[in-house]
Amino acid sequence: MRLSVDNLSHVFNGGADRHALEQISFTVEDGQFVALLGPSGCGKSTLLRLCANLLQPSGGRIEIEGKSPVEVARRRQIAWLAQSPALLPWLTAAQNVELACRFHNLDREPRLLPQHALDMVGLADAAGVYPAALSGGMQQRLALARLLTQEAALWLMDEPFAALDELTRERLTVELADIWGRLRPTVLWVTHNIYEALRLADRVLVFSPAPGRIVADINVNLPRPRVESDPAYQQLLKTLRAALQGQPVQILEWAVSC
Amino acid sequence: MLKQARGSSGRVALIISLSFGLLWEVGVRVFNVPVYLLPAPSRVLVVLAENTGLYAQASLITLSEALLGLLLGVLAGALLASLLTLHPGLEGGVMTLAILVKSTPLVAIAPLLTLWFGFGVLPKVMITALMTFFPVLVNILSGLNHTDAALVDLFHSWNASQREQFFHLRVPSALPYLFAALKISAPLALIGAVVAEWTGASGGLGRTMWLAYTNLNLPYLFAAIFVLAAAGVIIYRGLDWAERRAVFWLAESVI
Repeated sequence: MRLSVDNLSHVFNGGADRHALEQISFTVEDGQFVALLGPSGCGKSTLLRLCANLLQPSGGRIEIEGKSPVEVARRRQIAWLAQSPALLPWLTAAQNVELACRFHNLDREPRLLPQHALDMVGLADAAGVYPAALSGGMQQRLALARLLTQEAALWLMDEPFAALDELTRERLTVELADIWGRLRPTVLWVTHNIYEALRLADRVLVFSPAPGRIVADINVNLPRPRVESDPAYQQLLKTLRAALQGQPVQILEWAVSC
Repeated sequence: MLKQARGSSGRVALIISLSFGLLWEVGVRVFNVPVYLLPAPSRVLVVLAENTGLYAQASLITLSEALLGLLLGVLAGALLASLLTLHPGLEGGVMTLAILVKSTPLVAIAPLLTLWFGFGVLPKVMITALMTFFPVLVNILSGLNHTDAALVDLFHSWNASQREQFFHLRVPSALPYLFAALKISAPLALIGAVVAEWTGASGGLGRTMWLAYTNLNLPYLFAAIFVLAAAGVIIYRGLDWAERRAVFWLAESVI
């Protein structure tokens, strides 16, 4: 789905007004995988929540295929996945997926059956298990399976793998890239991880610290799967780092987390 | 491992109550406490054993009053909490009314209800319902409103209706709160039934206690207290058991 953001601003008012986003404009083409990269608190999550109709913007507009997020949400065409897998603990893995499936296929037969979705994320054997018995990585896989059955054309993902250990995160990133390649939805992927952005995205929007502004818009024209030893990859890594260099606090944070 | 811990906690409870009873027994015998002040537990147990039929019948009456009242209180509390969740605008007014009901002293209402509705079961059930209604309302209301923010986001992103969110998310989230409310309300229900009987009744443990008290027949009074205590413990344990099964996802053993 084509998504265009025009002059978008958002202010949280709670006592002192906090400007989260200031005059953001960009356009995402259908089927593009866009990473929103920036330091914590730069408003990238806010931007995603605005697109998902979980928040109403203070100014500017968002259009998805020419329609407002309210309307797109009403047609249940948006899939949302955040850092918390947000599973219903009283339902088994299969029931969690089925519930999403029921919500999103009110008047048609689902094309992707819940069991098939579980297969796709490697949870075929865990259908009858309750979320509490799954590891963090498996819970996030389950959330991914649930997202797949929604058959949404726009995926809004807010650091979905950030709470996982490094190894699990890398494996899931690879699998997600594979699934995305097969289904080709439009994806907005919020992250503060420069490597994750380079592994997944067609395009990276780099944000400044709060209030969030786009400081760089970088296309990643590299073949998939991404190879780290590729000189072009290394060059892009440098470019992305440079884009974030304007933020001295952030350099320290990178040094720690990468 | 969990089962073991639970079994040993039952043993500990038994040991503690037995030691307490023993201390009581020895104390009464050593200090020669007169029976019209404090009867020895052995004497109370003898009374219980000799009047099993009497106490069984009285318990049946009191327990039915308490449980029927509890059921009504829980139903009313749960329905009202649901209504307030779906129509938050009503909350201020309804809660004021509920607090008004709650803060009216039981000892003032109980004789009135007996006066209006007679010595039968009805006024007792009403009082028990009134006593249990408020904790249930407050607990379930907070349960219905304390849903995981990430889950609320998810349902919003699904564009779920208020109704869908209520049944798929809020009701299951409120289940642990319902059990907390039941655990508070069940003993209250027993007390409510007994106090209501105290103000005038044709039968029941409260009535038995009142008769024993006016005759200063303390072994009979304590026998009724023993039965009530046992009923309280059994009901509480039963609720605990039911809670572990109903709210299984919060129990430590999941599979």
